[in-house]
Order: sequence, then structure tokens, then C-alpha cells
Amino acid sequence: MERSIRAGGAALAVALLLTFAPTGSAQAPPDLDRVTRTLDDLFRSSASVGRIELTVVTPRGTRTMRMRMWSRGEDRALIVVEAPARDQGTATLRRDRNLWNYLPRISRTIRVPPSMMLSSWMGTDLTNDDLTQSSTFREDFTGQVVGRAEGGGWTIRYDANEGVVGLWRRIEYDVDDAAALPLRARYFDRRMRLARVMRFEDVRVMDGRRIPTRLVLEPQDREGHRTEMRYLEMDFDASVPESTFSLTELERPR
Amino acid sequence: MPSTLRIAFRNLGRNGRRTALALVAIAIAQTAVLAIDGLMNGWVEASLEAMTGPMMGHAQLHHPDWREERGPDLVIEDADATLARIRALPDVESAYARIYAPALAAREVDGRAVVVVGVDIAAERGPGGLLAGLPEGAIPDARGALVGSRLAREAGLSVGDELALLGQGADGSFANDLVRVSGVLQTPIDLVNRMGVIVHLETARDVFVMPGQAHEINVRGAGAPDEAPALVAALRGVEGADALEILTWRELAPQLSQFIDIAGVYGLVVMMIVFIAAAAGVANTMLMATFERRRELGMLLSLGTSPGRLVRIVLAEAVILGLFGVALGTLLGAGLVLYQGAVGVDPTTWGNQEESMDVAMYGLNWAATIHPYLRPADVLPGFVGVSVVSVVAALWPALITARLEPMEAMRG
Repeated sequence: MERSIRAGGAALAVALLLTFAPTGSAQAPPDLDRVTRTLDDLFRSSASVGRIELTVVTPRGTRTMRMRMWSRGEDRALIVVEAPARDQGTATLRRDRNLWNYLPRISRTIRVPPSMMLSSWMGTDLTNDDLTQSSTFREDFTGQVVGRAEGGGWTIRYDANEGVVGLWRRIEYDVDDAAALPLRARYFDRRMRLARVMRFEDVRVMDGRRIPTRLVLEPQDREGHRTEMRYLEMDFDASVPESTFSLTELERPR
Repeated sequence: MPSTLRIAFRNLGRNGRRTALALVAIAIAQTAVLAIDGLMNGWVEASLEAMTGPMMGHAQLHHPDWREERGPDLVIEDADATLARIRALPDVESAYARIYAPALAAREVDGRAVVVVGVDIAAERGPGGLLAGLPEGAIPDARGALVGSRLAREAGLSVGDELALLGQGADGSFANDLVRVSGVLQTPIDLVNRMGVIVHLETARDVFVMPGQAHEINVRGAGAPDEAPALVAALRGVEGADALEILTWRELAPQLSQFIDIAGVYGLVVMMIVFIAAAAGVANTMLMATFERRRELGMLLSLGTSPGRLVRIVLAEAVILGLFGVALGTLLGAGLVLYQGAVGVDPTTWGNQEESMDVAMYGLNWAATIHPYLRPADVLPGFVGVSVVSVVAALWPALITARLEPMEAMRG
């Protein structure tokens, strides 16, 4: 009881400090709406074509894949493996909440069942679910500026809105001082356990956008595991026809 | 003493009805004790068999992190050489190398979560193997697969269907291949029935890029399941096994092992209750039979029979009754248990259930049918207990009567 009163007191003190902190300095907290928009729109485009490199690190070894990807809007994507040679042509198609994998070696397409959505996608630390998410912070989360982040920048907290079905109950972002780029994100699961940490690194200008070009995902329950996504090239204003995202196109010989 | 015995026999013969009643009471007591004993034995064995049978074995070897993480690359290297050395151990009855690879399987386009189980199909048809009892003709070819019965039903699979598999190779690559369904399998293991796609070990090694490797070596000792710790100690000395995690079935499934222990205690309690009830029945019959003869015994006393002799006669009668009764009960009980053991008992049909149902627990299907059996030693407690009770129950009223004045005893 006493403890919670003290904790409440501390929270109140922090809140007061935040409220009455001198404005106009370089340390002014960022505008929440602006940060949310920045995070939501960082990689968003009406249609894009790009090439990414995925590196999966486990305590026993490292494996790198190169993939070409097409996307359209929020719920269409096609990803085709270019390297290594053994897996070349293996492809994943996303339409809305559905995922299909095409396997050129056996010329077969397999749809991922809902029960496998939380399983690893192509052996990475990403899940099939990650690929089919189209939630936005704007619509599905309630944000709050927490304060200065450890190691610089600001911490923004997003709590999932009531009734939103998803894996994450809370996502905390550390953004840079200008609140223009994310630095780190911490994902908390339904039981509020820290489940994964994402680091945004290697900021570059790509197709006119200043974006972090390397994303490092570290699942917290599997020590020594990490998946790195590196954007090799991106065209955020490509013209990609809807027909790209069909089973026929998925199975097209490449 | 011979005359005492003779008199005792004659006494027993004189009142046939009373003797028969006492014999039946004693015999029923022993039969009940043996029947419960047999059921308990059968149940414990069926449970142990279900548990340490095909899936669990008596002990397992894995990569130290495999059980926790189930990563496809957490393998036992050079599994065949290690397996050969394990099979050469004197304490080992059988040992099998296995691969467990989660995968997506699809007959057409809709995928379904399965576990591809790579096993030495020919060897695992032997006792204790995953495929024990599989007829030789059902062995699939190199590209064939046996699928679990429930998986087959739910995915609409039938023999001859082509199944596309997609999983992850031990090297991280996309393991994918086509297999042909060559049989549908009903095993005691829920997981296998629900998700199992069983292929040859070599096929699994090929698909999942695991040359010479395995995820598990499953060992069954020559002794009873409870000798597993000694088995594990022997396995630790095997070259190639030193870096692996080696666990007994009790360590692999602590809840299950605890469940068995608790059930054993319950069984003992039931056993005690039956024993007490049986003893009470015998005591009652013998007490009544002796009290009934107070006048007769008083007459003997008045004719000059010494109290000591009187007690000896009653004792002899009780011993004869007890021994014959228990012998009869043992015959009946052993016969009953033998019969039950041969045809099997299915407790799930005893209530209102018309149909037998297999009991699924901890992911194992426990065949509901129990085959009761008796060990020679199981006859002993009943033999000693029931005959001692019958003697004591007869002796007590005899002693009281022997201490009375003859006239008083005769008046009853």
C-alpha cells in the first residue's frame, strides 16, 4: 500500500515535471501525433519494389538470403528469394490476411493455415503473422510520450486499444531527438513480457526518403538469435499492377 | 494330535451347510483380493507401457538444447555410430534414432501443421518401436509416408495421395519435398495420430538436410522401466553420447511419473479396503459358526474334554477351513484373473458407457482395455491374511467357551 502510494507520488512528480518543463528548448517533448504519423508512414507507400537482404543469426550459425519484393497498399505483397541458389525462386504471396508459399523445386503452392501464423516465416525470427499485419499506431494503439529515452531521444509508449486483436499489448519506441526516426522498439506481449526488441540502424536516403536501412530484430526468449533486414534498394513510387499478387504470378517461372 | 485332526474333520463333515458357508466366505475373500490385485497389476503395467512404450522409451538422448528450443539444427551428430554403440550395450533391449521436424503439409493448396517423424521404419516395427506390429507389407517405399489417423481424417487424406511438405532444414534452408501417402496409422500416441507424417529416417535426413544426424535416440532397457537410472548411467559412458542430454522417462515426463505413483497409492488404499472387508466377512462367519456351537462344546467339556483339547479341536477346524477356503479362493481368483487377462477388461464400459473409449491423457492414448495378471507373490498376502483372520475369529469364541463351566456353556 505504502509502496504504491510512493510510486504514485513519483509518477505524479514526473508528470508535473513534464507539464511544467521549460518549453522551447531543444529538449521539448515531441508532438505525439507527428511521431505516430512518422512511425506509421516510415516505409508506407501505395506501391513499392525493392530488394532486401535477410540475415538470420543463431548461436550455431548465420544464414543470409536476398529477396526481391513488391508491395501494393497495406495488404498486398510478393517476396521472391533470389539467393542462396538452393532456395532461389521460393516465394511468399500475401493477400489480406492470407499467405501462400510457392516452392519451385516441387512446383507446389502451400497456403499457411491460421494455426501456423505464429510460426517462423522462412526460418527467420519473423512470424507469418508479422507479414500479414496491417495495424497502424494511429488506429489500433493509444500513444503517450513517456519522456527522455535512455541513451538519448524520446520514449513513446503505444498501448493496444481495447478490442484490438494482436500479439502486442504494448510497443515502446525510442525516437531520435527530432522525433523523425525510430531508434529502438520494444514489444510487450499480452502478459506484458518484453518479447522482442527491434533496432533501427544505418540511416540513409533511399529513393528520396531518409530511412533506417537496417532493422535488427532480437527475440527476447531465444538467446543468441537475431534477424537482420537490410534494405538494399527501394522504389517507393513504383507502379505495381494488382495482378502481381495472384497465385498465377506466384507460380510464374523465374 | 492325529485324533484331534480326525475329530476336527468329523466335526466339519457333520454340519455340511455351516462348513460350506465358511468355505465360501473365505474363498470369496481371497478371490476378491486377487481380482483387485490382478486389476491393479494390469493397470500399472498398461500405464507404464503406454508411457514408456513407443514414444518415450526408457531413456532418451538429445542435443542439450533440443527439448527447450526444438530448433531443427539442434541435432545429434554422427547418430548412426552412437546408436550402434548404444545397441551393443548389454542393458539395452532396443534403441532407435528419430527425427522430428515440424512442417506444413498440403494435399492441394491448403497447408496444415504436421510433424514429420523420420524413423527406421523396418526396425521400429519391433517390440517397443513406434510402429510395433506394423505388417511388413505396410512399409512405405523411400518416398512413401504413413500418416496419423486423425490427420488423415481431418485433411481428407487417403492412400496414394501426394503430400507436399514444407519445413526448415537443419541448415536453415527451405526443406520441401513430395511424399506419397502409403498408409494410415493408428498409434497409442495422440501427437502421431493428430500430426504425424512418418517417413524413413533416410528420407527425413535427405529432406531436412541432416546427413547422418538425428534429433533423438530413444532407448528401451532390457529391465523394467524403473531401472532407467541405471540405464542412463550406462548410456553416459557411451562414446559420442557424452555431450548429449540423457534423461530417464521419469525426468522426461515428471507429471506423468507422479501421476502413476499417486495412482499406485490409490490402488493400495482400495486394496486395503477390499482386504478389510474380506477379513470382516470371514471373521463374522467364523465367529458366528463357533458361537453357534457353544452348547455342543459345553457338552464336550462336561464329558471330560479338557479345555486345551477343545481349543485345539476348534483351532484345527479353523486351520483346515482357512487353508481349504483360501486354496479354493486362489483357484477361483487366479482363474478369474487368467480369464480377464486373456479377454481384457475395459473399465470404461462399466458405467453407462456402451462403447469403449480410449483414455487420452498427457498426449498419450491409453488403451482402456486392461489385461489383469498375477505374480506368484500376490497370492501370499491373501493366503496368510485370510487364513490368519479365520483362525483368530474361530479361536476367540472357542477360548471364551473353554473357560466357562460346562453347565453354563451348555445352557448357551
